[in-house]
Amino acid sequence: MPDHARAQARREWANFGLFLGPALLLLFVFFVAPIVIDLVLAFTDMGRTLAVGKFTFENFERMFTRDTRLLGALGVTFVFVLLTLGIFNVTFALMLALMTTAVPPRLGAFFRAVWLLPRMSPSVVYALLWLWVVDPNERGLLNQIVINVFDMPAIDLRNNHPLLLIILANGFIGASLGMLIFTSAIRSIPEHLFHAARVDGAGAFAIVRHITLPALRWPISYMTIHQSLSLLVSFEYILLITGGGPFYDTTVFSLYAYRRAFETGEYAYGAALSLILVVIGVVAALALWRLMDMKQLLQPPRIEVH
Amino acid sequence: MSAHDLVVDGGAPVRADWLALARRSWRRRVGGQSMLLAFLIVVSAPIVLPYFWMMVIAFTARTGGVGSDVLWTACAVIAPAVLIYSIVHMTVAAPRLRLIAGAILLVVVGGLLAALIGGRLHLDNFRFLWRADFVEEVRSKATSGAQFPSVWNAFFNSLLLAVAQTLIILTVSSLAGYYISRFAFRGRSAFLQGMLVLHAFPAMTLIIPIFMMLYWIGLLDTIAGVMLVLAAIELPFYVFVMKGFFDGVPWDIEMSAMTDGATRRQAFYMVVLPQVRFGLIAVAVFAFIRAWEEYIFVRTFLIENKNWVMSLYLFWVSDDVMGVDYGIVAAVAVFYVLPSFLLYIFCQKYLTQMTIGGIKG
Repeated sequence: MPDHARAQARREWANFGLFLGPALLLLFVFFVAPIVIDLVLAFTDMGRTLAVGKFTFENFERMFTRDTRLLGALGVTFVFVLLTLGIFNVTFALMLALMTTAVPPRLGAFFRAVWLLPRMSPSVVYALLWLWVVDPNERGLLNQIVINVFDMPAIDLRNNHPLLLIILANGFIGASLGMLIFTSAIRSIPEHLFHAARVDGAGAFAIVRHITLPALRWPISYMTIHQSLSLLVSFEYILLITGGGPFYDTTVFSLYAYRRAFETGEYAYGAALSLILVVIGVVAALALWRLMDMKQLLQPPRIEVH
Repeated sequence: MSAHDLVVDGGAPVRADWLALARRSWRRRVGGQSMLLAFLIVVSAPIVLPYFWMMVIAFTARTGGVGSDVLWTACAVIAPAVLIYSIVHMTVAAPRLRLIAGAILLVVVGGLLAALIGGRLHLDNFRFLWRADFVEEVRSKATSGAQFPSVWNAFFNSLLLAVAQTLIILTVSSLAGYYISRFAFRGRSAFLQGMLVLHAFPAMTLIIPIFMMLYWIGLLDTIAGVMLVLAAIELPFYVFVMKGFFDGVPWDIEMSAMTDGATRRQAFYMVVLPQVRFGLIAVAVFAFIRAWEEYIFVRTFLIENKNWVMSLYLFWVSDDVMGVDYGIVAAVAVFYVLPSFLLYIFCQKYLTQMTIGGIKG
């Protein structure tokens, strides 16, 4: 019955457009198209006037041969990502997950809520809190402790140890995501394994070493890639707390691209710089995608009546 | 020889002192737990203290100075109380006794705080709520820059941005989530994989091209532009969250709705959607908080001060008066953070139900 078949096909298309159309449209216009635009922009000479004069390789030539600040920015990025990730976003997140699951459940939930507080507060507020903590005069929270408790002279983290400051500020926020993921992974370990280990005489450390950690292998590798990617591209707190300064001391690569575009108006050069991040982003996204549970995600849908 | 004797290495049976063993194990457990708790308290203090400091500044600071003694007095009252309560909590098992001890401590702490710092509290710093010209008043008129808009202007801009973005996300992600959960279509797995890649892809790197695009289509410096961008870049995440919730609805109820004569769309709208209302609430709360706190994108895409949202308002207030008056800045921050915190506290049970994809394990 061709008529029936045609009506069926029409209904299928109508459903497709109705249910998936809005999402496809939004994603295409504001997500996929910008990737293409970035690719094109990187090869232009767009400046303050926002007009394209000519197509050129100049941006990449500048990036690889002339830009002396770029090397510094890469160094800062490397130190920042490595230390924040190594100290806070994975290691400390793991410690928090282990400890909050070892204390009574209510208390554990309380401490997890405390660590989620920075993530739930607006970034401007969180940055302000840090500015009040490291205020260089004697009113800064840190200096109140340093002066009155340790009897040392006031310290100025923001100007003298800016890199340490942005690592701490990002770390205290970054640890919470890993903490949540690891906590739910620990919870999903069958209880009887712990009992069996105890009966066999395992102590707390042996249990962590031989039961908990092996179960966390996938979540840990997932979080490591996910967090290094997000640390690599996000500069929100750095911009708010140090502004990338003093001078360029805390300007990580992504902030460098942002500052080139929106501070000095070199939009094309900024686009060329972010193109590198886009490429890294795609590669890391593909790597993450391997770690997701694809079978569960791609299992066939259950009803196919239109 | 009783069954309770221990036999060590096949040697002579040793009479075990069960009471001593139990005591030792109890001591060990309490000791270990207290050490863990002490560590957790020490590492969590740097988070709680700054928030507390912000509250203290907001409610006690006056132009030109902050009394840090208020902070430490309050800490000296509250910290021992928390310590005493945790000791009580660990040694007393009866919930009623715990409750009574907690109530007594609460009364004592409240009384002490009222007596020691009650006189220092005031609401002057919140005058920005009804006076738009507070910046000129704090700084002398000659030095102040552009006129600040009223805080309510920024507040309603933020509200408009957050609510509209949430509505877009709710509609689009529930439609798309339902479709990929229930329908087979050509390219379904390719579509899902593409969404996953987009979900992991950092949208922050696209800020320059998105800026250009908004400029070209004339949505730069409009709330509508920011709203669409924020909705789009967060969409893959919410689509997967909604797909997870739809996957959890048994398909029999749809089937029975359709047997009763409902069309597929009616079944979705009238039968399935009510089943995932907790998912809808979770997505709504999460999307609202995210849009409410957004800074980088609004900072880049919104320029004129009539378009300021709360984050920009707070940023410029702190930029302008921070050196002179901490109090007002802290008060604005408290006002700004309140909706996020209230939503977070009251909707936590919905938020914890969100899962995505599931990590291979």
